[in-house]
Amino acid sequence: MIKHHPSETLLTQYCDASLATSLSLAVSIHVDMCPVCQAKVAKIEASNADALFSEEPVQFETVQTEQSESFEDFELNVLDMITSDDSIDEVYEVEPVSIKVNEHNYQLPRALTRISHSKFTQVGKLARSRVSLDDGALRSSLLHIDAGGEIPEHTHTGFEVTLLLDGEFSDEDGSYVPGDFIWQDGSHQHTPLTKDGCLCFTVVSSALHFNKGFSKLLNPIGNLIY
Amino acid sequence: MVSQQQSPRCEPNTGKYTAMPETPSKELMQALIDVAQSRDKKAFSYLFEYFAPKIKRFGIKQFGVEAQAMELVQETLTSVWRKAHLYHSDKGAATTWVYTVMRNASFDMLRKMKSNKEENISEDIWPLLNESQDTHHEYSDHLEDKQIKRYLDKLPIAQREVVRGVYFQDMSQEQLAHQLNIPVGTVKSRLRLALQKLRNEMGDQHD
Repeated sequence: MIKHHPSETLLTQYCDASLATSLSLAVSIHVDMCPVCQAKVAKIEASNADALFSEEPVQFETVQTEQSESFEDFELNVLDMITSDDSIDEVYEVEPVSIKVNEHNYQLPRALTRISHSKFTQVGKLARSRVSLDDGALRSSLLHIDAGGEIPEHTHTGFEVTLLLDGEFSDEDGSYVPGDFIWQDGSHQHTPLTKDGCLCFTVVSSALHFNKGFSKLLNPIGNLIY
Repeated sequence: MVSQQQSPRCEPNTGKYTAMPETPSKELMQALIDVAQSRDKKAFSYLFEYFAPKIKRFGIKQFGVEAQAMELVQETLTSVWRKAHLYHSDKGAATTWVYTVMRNASFDMLRKMKSNKEENISEDIWPLLNESQDTHHEYSDHLEDKQIKRYLDKLPIAQREVVRGVYFQDMSQEQLAHQLNIPVGTVKSRLRLALQKLRNEMGDQHD
């Protein structure tokens, strides 16, 4: 069962589109997999809609400005323009897309199927593919860890979101199942380890710091997973 | 108008004129359904008048510029007109659906302003078509459905029309003959040919 969810704040920002694109995608993937958050999102959207679209109290002194008259002209024009074309937008359900990483097949989450991602780059048991989102300082990736692989102990200067898509992994805090949404920042230290291998979607805001002797030398991994 | 209703506790009058009309949820829902089902322009102009000023107000808050607020009004209401068929009343209020359409349009506009990208990805994040959530548990049936649609596409148009009408739109053969302006006998023979063909394509497991 999914135990790790986006915070209420993240869900609220997700619903009113004030969350960065890559984080919105991460939340979207989680919500698709998590009935609990689906219900929460529906509730937030309904109450946002109420707040914006409910009828106002009747104003006793309505100030008629010139601007509102020109808005009426604008309205009529736009109304005519829109309804002059009777066709509808056909929307198709997105066909599932599979990807193959080191002989393992995975189905991409719906939210990622139409967004391109680079070829996987491999370092040891880690393989990473960059998801092509132009999103400022945030970088999104698909991260694959082969069975028995781990990421050396590290902390984050910014934050890191790990969304487990398939497989399992565990760290000092416990073990994770597909759909788990894990938010980490500078206060966390962890060493993720997978027995059977896993595929994750990650969003990283800033470089990772490797804490222990030998792994300090592992810059390639740092570059790979940031 | 002063309400004559007795309330159990006597609240002090807050001094506000509380002539707060209810949101006309039923009317909005019906209008959206009429737009979807019969491209009803009157129903649409009712929706337009209701939502346009409210979307504009939101747009000004969001973009700080009136021109962009107007663009949001236009984008959102164009989508409402063209995508009304995606609304299902059992999934919630019309206002909530219009909100999600507006939210998506606003997201794509902001992203375009920030990164100069033309791609719209709001529907990747918030799909207006939520099939995957609903059919998750009947995945195999769903695949089979798709398979059937693929086979259907292989049929000649005349046969496909007949199969669609009878099996997917639940029309009687007589109704269909009337609609297509062909004799009932032709409907029957096309249907027979089509089914034979489908059976050959799909194998015997569907008997």
